[in-house]
Amino acid sequence: MSETDTVDGTDQRVTTTGETSERVREAWSDYEFAGDAKLVVDDLDVYYGDERALQGVSLDVPDESVTALIGPSGCGKSTFLRCLNRMNDRIDSARVEGSVTLDGEEVYSDGVNLVELRKRIGMVFQEPNPFPKSIRDNISYGPRKHGDLDTGLLARLLGRDDTDDEEALVERVLRRAALWDEVKDRLDDNALGLSGGQQQRLCIARALAVDPDVILMDEPASALDPIATAKIEDLIEELAEDYTVVVVTHNMQQAARISDQTAVFLTGGELVEYGDTDQIFENPESQRVEDYITGKFG
Amino acid sequence: MIPVPREEFQRSLEDLRDGVREMGDLVLARVDDGLDALETADDKFARSVVHGDDEVNDRYLALEGDCIDLFALQQPVAGDLRLVAASFKILTDLERVGDLATNFGRYALATEDARHVDVDVVDVGRDARELVADALDAYAAGDAAACREVAARDDDVDALCQAASERVVRDLIEREAGEDPWRTEALMDDVSRLLLTIRDVERVADHGVNVAARTLYAVESDPELVY
Repeated sequence: MSETDTVDGTDQRVTTTGETSERVREAWSDYEFAGDAKLVVDDLDVYYGDERALQGVSLDVPDESVTALIGPSGCGKSTFLRCLNRMNDRIDSARVEGSVTLDGEEVYSDGVNLVELRKRIGMVFQEPNPFPKSIRDNISYGPRKHGDLDTGLLARLLGRDDTDDEEALVERVLRRAALWDEVKDRLDDNALGLSGGQQQRLCIARALAVDPDVILMDEPASALDPIATAKIEDLIEELAEDYTVVVVTHNMQQAARISDQTAVFLTGGELVEYGDTDQIFENPESQRVEDYITGKFG
Repeated sequence: MIPVPREEFQRSLEDLRDGVREMGDLVLARVDDGLDALETADDKFARSVVHGDDEVNDRYLALEGDCIDLFALQQPVAGDLRLVAASFKILTDLERVGDLATNFGRYALATEDARHVDVDVVDVGRDARELVADALDAYAAGDAAACREVAARDDDVDALCQAASERVVRDLIEREAGEDPWRTEALMDDVSRLLLTIRDVERVADHGVNVAARTLYAVESDPELVY
């Protein structure tokens, strides 16, 4: 289905469903959302060696909302997510072309400080990965690293002890991640003793501790049971009141439940349709998207 | 992409479509019987129409259950979602048409000799019945153009019903006063019943339009006719 041909030497591609790439593009290029764009992605190509993982993806992510990225395995949705905070820089064979801007600033400029960038664009992974430290230290580790908290001996000697600030921060972000009531009496316990769902909420709290603008989540609930999943989903919706959340999920019903807008990627790293989530799931414009979400093709 | 059809689910959707169409045929047969009862004023036949609604109701409840199962177990989206949602609504319309057919049987049972010769409500009823039949054909075929054509015909049925009602009332007004009081009572009953029959015929057509409107939504996601 994703086979493409060049017609008459133009770059108009024709799929076996008869859709031209121009028509497909039109399906979502007119998409207008309320509010401002937080992230603007323009004509993004990603290669792993010679293999193209994303082709010409352009997509604006609205501020303070949940954007879901869906598509079959290998469609490039996780690659796209990792481009947003330059996680692909860690992969030697990865090459990124195109532009990503955060609040109008180019993410792929040479002078960008990657530590600062990832502080503003945090990430939560599929498997909960808390540090093998106390619950409290999991939260305060990032701010300490960034120099926003100082609670060491030297700080105390110098009269700059942020212990009170640390306590306030730990409580604030654990409350924000809907975990405080479950862990407030055991903040010094090892985080690895928490359940999977609690660990994942701790990882979200950890991401919030450095005060990000954007939170990227790659299959954040796929390793969790239905109740833990429901808590993560509730949390994602609440976070969108203050943060811009981008979620990759295999679970289409989850995308339908939690997101404001949905982007559908299909095999070959092509963004096929992007729009309001209810429109995508009730009336997709692209036949290929309809076939994919109704399970006729995968 | 590799085709991975959800065969069981697709078969369930086809079963639902066939089931709604079959229930529609059952309801149309009931309307035919109701109109025949009105035409013939055959008490025995009219009584069978009045007591014959159970099969429609059973079919309605079974298909409604099928829709709920599909929502709960298959979580349909896009065109599949619209088909199930539309079918769910169409079932209600068909069940109501079945009730109206029952009403026709009741009106036929209560009809006295003093029938209004000027007004052939049965003819208009057959127009309304055809409208429902065509809406069901459009549903079964997923034919958007036919849906719009069906909806446009509703105005004709409305106009015929309006004209028939006016004729009944005018006839009542123009009758000479001072007739036998017993005759007046019977006349009032007949007139009321005739007006109710005309109203129910109009409603049959309205439900036909609803079937077309929901079908158009299912086919083209176009709510144009729903409102």
